[in-house]
Amino acid sequence: MKYHPTKTIITGLSVILLAAGCQREQVQVYRVDKDPAPLPVTATITPSSDPTPPAATALPPDHPDVSAATATPDSTGPLTWTTPTDWTEVPPSEIRVASFKITQDGRTADVSVIPLGGMAGGDSANVNRWRGQVGLSALSEDEIQKSADPVEIGGQPASLYDAGGASDTAPRIIGAIQHRDDTAWFFKLAGDGKLVEQQKAAFVEFLKSVKFAGMAPAQAGLPATLPPGHPDISNMGNTSTDTTPISHEGQPNWQVPTGWREVSGGQFLAAKFLLTNDGGIAAVNVSRSAGDGGGLAANVNRWRGQLGLPPVTDVSTSPVDVAGGTGSLVDLSGTSAQTGQPVRLVAVIVTQADNAWFYKLMGEAKVVENQKDAFVKFVQGAKY
Amino acid sequence: MLKSFIQIFSSLKLTVACLVLGCVIVFWGTIAQVHIGLYRAQAEVFHSLLIYWQPSGANWKIPIFPGGYLIAGVLLINLLVAHVRYYQLGRKKFGIALIHLGIVLMLLGQMLTDYLSVESVMHLRLGESKNYSESERGGEIAVIDTTDKNSYKVVAVPCDLLARRGDVRNPELPFDLHVKAYYANSQLSDKAAPGFEPVKATAGMGTSLWWRELPHETVMERTDIPSAIISITDAQGPVGTFLVSELLGQPQSFACNGRQYELVLRPERFYKPFSLQLIEFKHDRYPGTDIPKNFSSRVRLQRPDTHEDREVLIFMNNPLRFAGDTFYQASFDSDDRGSVLQVVHNPGWITPYLACALVGVGLTIQFLTHLIPFLKRRLA
Repeated sequence: MKYHPTKTIITGLSVILLAAGCQREQVQVYRVDKDPAPLPVTATITPSSDPTPPAATALPPDHPDVSAATATPDSTGPLTWTTPTDWTEVPPSEIRVASFKITQDGRTADVSVIPLGGMAGGDSANVNRWRGQVGLSALSEDEIQKSADPVEIGGQPASLYDAGGASDTAPRIIGAIQHRDDTAWFFKLAGDGKLVEQQKAAFVEFLKSVKFAGMAPAQAGLPATLPPGHPDISNMGNTSTDTTPISHEGQPNWQVPTGWREVSGGQFLAAKFLLTNDGGIAAVNVSRSAGDGGGLAANVNRWRGQLGLPPVTDVSTSPVDVAGGTGSLVDLSGTSAQTGQPVRLVAVIVTQADNAWFYKLMGEAKVVENQKDAFVKFVQGAKY
Repeated sequence: MLKSFIQIFSSLKLTVACLVLGCVIVFWGTIAQVHIGLYRAQAEVFHSLLIYWQPSGANWKIPIFPGGYLIAGVLLINLLVAHVRYYQLGRKKFGIALIHLGIVLMLLGQMLTDYLSVESVMHLRLGESKNYSESERGGEIAVIDTTDKNSYKVVAVPCDLLARRGDVRNPELPFDLHVKAYYANSQLSDKAAPGFEPVKATAGMGTSLWWRELPHETVMERTDIPSAIISITDAQGPVGTFLVSELLGQPQSFACNGRQYELVLRPERFYKPFSLQLIEFKHDRYPGTDIPKNFSSRVRLQRPDTHEDREVLIFMNNPLRFAGDTFYQASFDSDDRGSVLQVVHNPGWITPYLACALVGVGLTIQFLTHLIPFLKRRLA
């Protein structure tokens, strides 16, 4: 038999080429626990119920969102509550900021507190997800809105939904959803129908006991009940009270337009103003961030999320002359994540060499329209 | 045939040719980074058998040069065959044998690393806990069955596979996924704009959006944003056509056969049997300056199956090595409230150390093998 070196080479190369066709990519199927079993607390982690966690304060409404994840458990701020007597607090896991177990007569129920960024898919989608978990079919958005019961969480209104529990052993979920700034808070009681029914009153009391430190509705001169359509202008993480003096340290020099009322913006805002006009209300928040503050697109998309608008990559802005350069103006209209009412947002980002200033005017459309020119002049007149 | 094989693959000329070709592709790959970015240059020039040329706008390509794997593979065979052919047993050649063995191990180890290692990142905000890391480059389309009370069932399809196949059928899903369009890098808009076309979605968040395809990102700090239009069809007919995009971020819900599902395009996930929770992040600066001095993450490590629960401090040059993964302090959020850990899973991590040790010992033995007789001769 005659040997052919060329054939040998071709054969070798063919084998190598065939091997190259084998791809590592493949479809994967796996299960992920919804609520991984918590371990006993042995580490020295500060529980979220600690009123003064070391670094768990919330990002302010105008702080650039540097987190790409939808879950924002760090935005809990100093969340506090009163634990009902039958409940056992367990360490929060995954994206939870608080977690409880209830065990009675061999039945168990679980209570979770989860903050999610933006609208978190919308209330209807989440309620239908809960309904799916207890074996119920999805409802229309109207039906879901009608099924919502009002409830109070942290001194502000929220919606309570009840699904399942056709029998004592059938699964049942009672969930409450509240939107605060750009975070949706989910409080959920889930378990056997009978136990959930027994614990419903305690759950509602628990919701009432929840406090976001410094977020009393009367803070900074705000009315106890905001008018319909008004965006939530309470400041997460604001530890100030009415009596807190307003600090002007680090502020640019600016001329505050007539009719604007400065209130304390807390530790994260450089300044905060309330604007009222013909019974409507809006707020101006001013904040500063190091660097570019996460960039134009990220911040505009964060604001779009507050208005229920989907994110975009093609962000359109208008140039505005400001001290020392040009700012980027954004004008958006949408629906308030808190109230479902129309709302408008006008914002200017002023980028400097080593930091960025964020000016945001947000509120009822008619107030924003009336105040837009004054707002732009205010931004243009700021000297850094 | 065996004789021919040994003659060809033990040739010193082949060794020289492989080394020269290796030099050429190192230069080639370095230049290519400028135009196609680091990761594509690595994949197309070094982690490939052949380097292809594709005319602009064409959907075909032809091989024009051997790639890194082919050159290294031939060099490896060359080294082994030459060793078998020429090696003579004896103490004098023992050092040479060790050096060759070290080089072979180095080549094999690198191939093993390329094939088996997985690099990903774990981004943790303060207080956040995660039991998975995410790919920096690869995306996946995850179909998540959320119906069950205690767990999610996830069917994850890598984007590249989806784009290549066009259709995905899986026995775990009561419906088929069909890719109507896939852009490896894309841009979305909420209004009509030049170059954008309406997203032909019938359900979900994409129904009122426009999109367009973009060329691959070549800047190292930026990544492609893949988007796709996926139609879902079950036995009864169409369920819906969705736009999925990494930019959308949130899953989109739909129901099928009485079960609830979520559809999302996200970075590929790698789940772990343990979780890490960020307790504290420190960004120390030299006093009076903004010059970084130290970055560190204090994390809580929890492993339910072993009830392991402890705190670990990860800082630069002090990674956490656990369960086959290595967690390096890689980056942090600009507000100092989040930390980014690079997660490296590399079963072949030991091979470069062993290879270098073997080569070092081999060189020492070979040197001493000549030095000692030389000194003896001089002293005699």
